Amino acid sequence: MLLALVLLPILAGSAMLLSRGEDRRVYRGIGVVVALATLAIAIAARSDDWSVPWLRAPFVANFHLGIGTLAFWLIALLALCTACAVLAVDSARPRALVGQLLLLEGTMLGLFISRDLLLFAFFYDLMLVPVFFVLLERGEHPRDAWRYIIYNFAGGLLLLFATAAFGVLHGTTDVIGTAGNAISGTWAPWIFWGFAIAFLVKTPAFPLHTWMPNTYASLPAPVAAVVGAVQSKAGLYGFFVIALALMPQEVARYSGTLIVLGSISLLYGAVAALVQTDAKRVVAYSSLSHLGLIVIAIATQQPLALAGAALYIIAHGLFTAALFIGLGYVEEREETRSLARLRGIGAKNPRLAGALTIAGLAMLGLPGLAGFVGELVIITGIVQSGNIAVAVVAVISVVLASAYVLRLFQGIVNGPVVHDLPVRRDLSWREGIAIAPLLLALLYLGVNPHAVLAGGAVAIPRAPLSSTSGVSTP
Amino acid sequence: MTLPFTHVDWAAIAPLEVLAATGLLVLLLDLVLRPFAPRALSLGIAILGTIATAVMIGQQYGTNVAAFNGGYIVGNFSVLFGGVVLLGTLGALALMGRGGGDRESAGTIALLLWSACGALLLAGASTTMTVFLGIELLSLSLYCLCGLADRASAREAALKYLLLSSTASAVLLFGMALLFGASGSVSLAALATPAMVGNPLFWMGSGFFLVGIAFKLSLVPFHAWAPDVYEGAPLPITAFMTVVTKAATIAIFARFAYAALPSGASQMLLLPIWIVAGISMIVGNVGMLAQHDLKRLLGYSGIAQVGYILAALAGTTRLGLRYAFFYLAVYAVMNLGAFAVAAALSTGDAEEGAKLETYRGLGARRPLLAAAMTFFLLALAGLPPTAGFLGKILILAATAGSGYLWLAALLLVGTAISLYAYAKVIMAMYRPDHRVRTVELGTSAPLPWVSLALCLVATIAFTFYPLLPTGLFPLVK
Repeated sequence: MLLALVLLPILAGSAMLLSRGEDRRVYRGIGVVVALATLAIAIAARSDDWSVPWLRAPFVANFHLGIGTLAFWLIALLALCTACAVLAVDSARPRALVGQLLLLEGTMLGLFISRDLLLFAFFYDLMLVPVFFVLLERGEHPRDAWRYIIYNFAGGLLLLFATAAFGVLHGTTDVIGTAGNAISGTWAPWIFWGFAIAFLVKTPAFPLHTWMPNTYASLPAPVAAVVGAVQSKAGLYGFFVIALALMPQEVARYSGTLIVLGSISLLYGAVAALVQTDAKRVVAYSSLSHLGLIVIAIATQQPLALAGAALYIIAHGLFTAALFIGLGYVEEREETRSLARLRGIGAKNPRLAGALTIAGLAMLGLPGLAGFVGELVIITGIVQSGNIAVAVVAVISVVLASAYVLRLFQGIVNGPVVHDLPVRRDLSWREGIAIAPLLLALLYLGVNPHAVLAGGAVAIPRAPLSSTSGVSTP
Repeated sequence: MTLPFTHVDWAAIAPLEVLAATGLLVLLLDLVLRPFAPRALSLGIAILGTIATAVMIGQQYGTNVAAFNGGYIVGNFSVLFGGVVLLGTLGALALMGRGGGDRESAGTIALLLWSACGALLLAGASTTMTVFLGIELLSLSLYCLCGLADRASAREAALKYLLLSSTASAVLLFGMALLFGASGSVSLAALATPAMVGNPLFWMGSGFFLVGIAFKLSLVPFHAWAPDVYEGAPLPITAFMTVVTKAATIAIFARFAYAALPSGASQMLLLPIWIVAGISMIVGNVGMLAQHDLKRLLGYSGIAQVGYILAALAGTTRLGLRYAFFYLAVYAVMNLGAFAVAAALSTGDAEEGAKLETYRGLGARRPLLAAAMTFFLLALAGLPPTAGFLGKILILAATAGSGYLWLAALLLVGTAISLYAYAKVIMAMYRPDHRVRTVELGTSAPLPWVSLALCLVATIAFTFYPLLPTGLFPLVK
């Protein structure tokens, strides 16, 4: 079952890439069915465990798959985002786009259900490839593809190095889903920072974020939705199941550095979002800001902050995906993303304006939507951990968030209709259905956050760490 | 001193005899049947002979025989390195089936097979005399083969290779002479005694020997010849050199480093080699960035890849040798795969597939070949799901495990640079481009396609079933 979970989207996506024809309905239909099928499989296989040996030397590694608590919510988010993104595809060449989206989903599913560090690193690198190709074929500038792949591959190499060193010292990499201090001694800081830098690149956090705004702006909206919503969470997920679970001592030792980096991301992202003229870049920088908050929550190791972080990871995914898809609709209709040009969508396309507004309100943390609960719980947790100054910074960023979200919406939604921009029809049923589930999920988690919060409390694995000393020698 | 060859063990070198005889057979048949026999017949016989050799070598797996008084040692080490040599030979022969290439006649095929004989000899050589014999047998044929194509760059390549490789051989030979002076024996095993540590002749001899090896491996700073020679030589010969020459030379280096150096001198003598390997990773990968020719690009890539393989050997641990071999085998299939794609795009001496401009817009023109090339390039960069990924992590584990952190760091930096270089080719293939060449591309000859498919399957299969060799030791007797 778990194997099918990974292979189904990968095989379907590969078959699509090899097929011929450009019928949008067919590819969208297949894509949505596959994405929903993975959701069904994930629910059915929630307690499965599957393992096949891989390496016996220099350390034990297995093809070990299983679904953890946080991973389950991320998989649900991923499947939902993929289904919505596929449905939102409106390209003249949908075949490659839907195919790459499914490949992306499959590789990220593999990442989230890996129980082995080596397998985790395997998928961590693999999931770069579909995005790279989308950027190559459809990106605005080749430079964006370079930045994306070089930054993330360099991060992946550090992860690879940390994994190799971890395996050699600990004897096995089959450790995801367990908790304990796996590594200590002189090597521990090196390994920790190998993992941490890889995750901070992916998240991204200041100062490793410079690939991100270009990538998000350059990607077609549906892919940007999945990458911004879910791929950026791979690093945070790594912090939970690897850094926090296996090296809590190191996280505690370097929490100051992480908090500083998180705080800079938080403020810098918010300020940068205030001055962007490209609507997609506003969302990109807001992402930097929000994920910085999660990095801080992780660094405090405070249980409440961690639970909030788990919820906020999901909430951020939902509203980021909704915003990217919504801004994609805007771009299709107005043929520009420039805030200097866009005006008056509310008058022309009220349904689109409504969808954008709900997603935007979730982003600024309106009570009743999931973003609010996440921020509130995280900041409460930070206060409880005694970092009052950091909590103040976080609150400032929340205020700044209102400013940039309102700027974005006053710019796009309000105001008189601009006459030299084309007037197109409002959201079609298909387009509406592609964004509605994300908004409904935001509302549901806003009023019933306990579904994930309860899971967030156990986001860090509790199973005791096991070690195999039986490394075979030739 | 006793004569080294008092006992002749023909059975131990039976695979070499078969391979050499195949070369003769190809030549003779061509002489008799020339008006009737197409080149395909010569090629077919050569491939069958190589496969037969591979089977015979395979049967030696698990045995441990020292033939010629320890001059040629049959064991898992020689079997495995011999296997890579034959793999490279088969790959090169398959590329010869790309059609055209009029000068790639029966004589060429025979020379290639004899060159492979030299490489096989090196895989088992454990006295300085057999080492030199193997190196010369390998190189002499290659001098001719390099100049095969009818273009100025080919003549330049042949001359360059002849001059520089002979110089390297001379340095190597001088080192061997000094080593003989130090130990009074041609045997590599005789060097591994504590008495050698205080002997200046031993240090000088080993130094010259290692310089010669570094030359043959095209390590920085002795690397400049490789891209020029690779560019000039015909496609199949370049493929042969990047795999077979490297495999055979690494076999010699490994045997020397693991078995011939006394423990007191080993660390100090080899340190320059590890440094040079680290620099090669950077220089090779940076060198790739500016290339316009695929063969040159893969030549620079090879310089870096040899650096990776040597990094696994750093610290001369037993595990390291296993991973070095694994990566060598993986490198062989990835590299042969890339060459097979180039061959499938070429006809004869024109070698369209070797020019990087051919790859512009290839994703739209020949989607399957473009996808295959992308796959092999990403494999060389070490991305999953290819065995290049697994090979990298094993090398990292070995290098870090034996304490050479700086070498691991250089490997990471080099790999990051290399991705940029490989991805430039990929971008050319997939980025919409108006400068797409309109030349007719490709061959309908089946052999490059077969080779391509086999390399593809092997590159994926090695990821999930890493065949790490065991029982490589002892290396000398």
